[in-house]
Amino acid sequence: MRNLVRELRVEQGLSQGELAKAMDVSRQTINSIEQERYTPSLPLAIGLARYFGKTVEEVFDANGSR
Amino acid sequence: MRTAAGRRQSKWVVPLFSLALGLVFLGIQWANGDPGSGLVSLAIMAAFGAVFLFGGKSETIRGLRGDGRDERFRRIDVNATAFAGVVLIVYAIVGFMVELAHGNDGSPYGLMGAAAGLAYIAAVVWQRIRS
Repeated sequence: MRNLVRELRVEQGLSQGELAKAMDVSRQTINSIEQERYTPSLPLAIGLARYFGKTVEEVFDANGSR
Repeated sequence: MRTAAGRRQSKWVVPLFSLALGLVFLGIQWANGDPGSGLVSLAIMAAFGAVFLFGGKSETIRGLRGDGRDERFRRIDVNATAFAGVVLIVYAIVGFMVELAHGNDGSPYGLMGAAAGLAYIAAVVWQRIRS
């Protein structure tokens, strides 16, 4: 699913590992979300959106995929 | 709302379980008068456990042993388990047909296929009730 996780993470100067630790998932899971290979669960999507101070719709685009 | 990570298993569970299985194999084979093969079984299971215990840099190892398992790995695990189940069911059906073709009664493949089919139906009913 198309998303802005990578852009928001870089904007905040975070590494994938740091974001993964904050979300309690593996670094590879964050990488998979950024590469649009993995669609996160609703709780994780909400957690990511809250972490960046955004809504889920602002971070994830359900209609878009590369 | 369930967290992304959920409950994680200690990294010691799989290695210790492997070692325990190896000891059980040793006991069974020793009781049958073949302690040499039992020691080989124990060595194989202990080596398997050691790979899991000391292979923590690999995401695959961490996920398989449980301490690196997050929601993505749990999905991988479910898909891998389903794939392994399909392979076993196909194996049981083909084995059953081969045994029938040889004029036998199809055992043990018939029972294996029946157990797999019943387990699948029971799981579908249970999941439907729960969800």
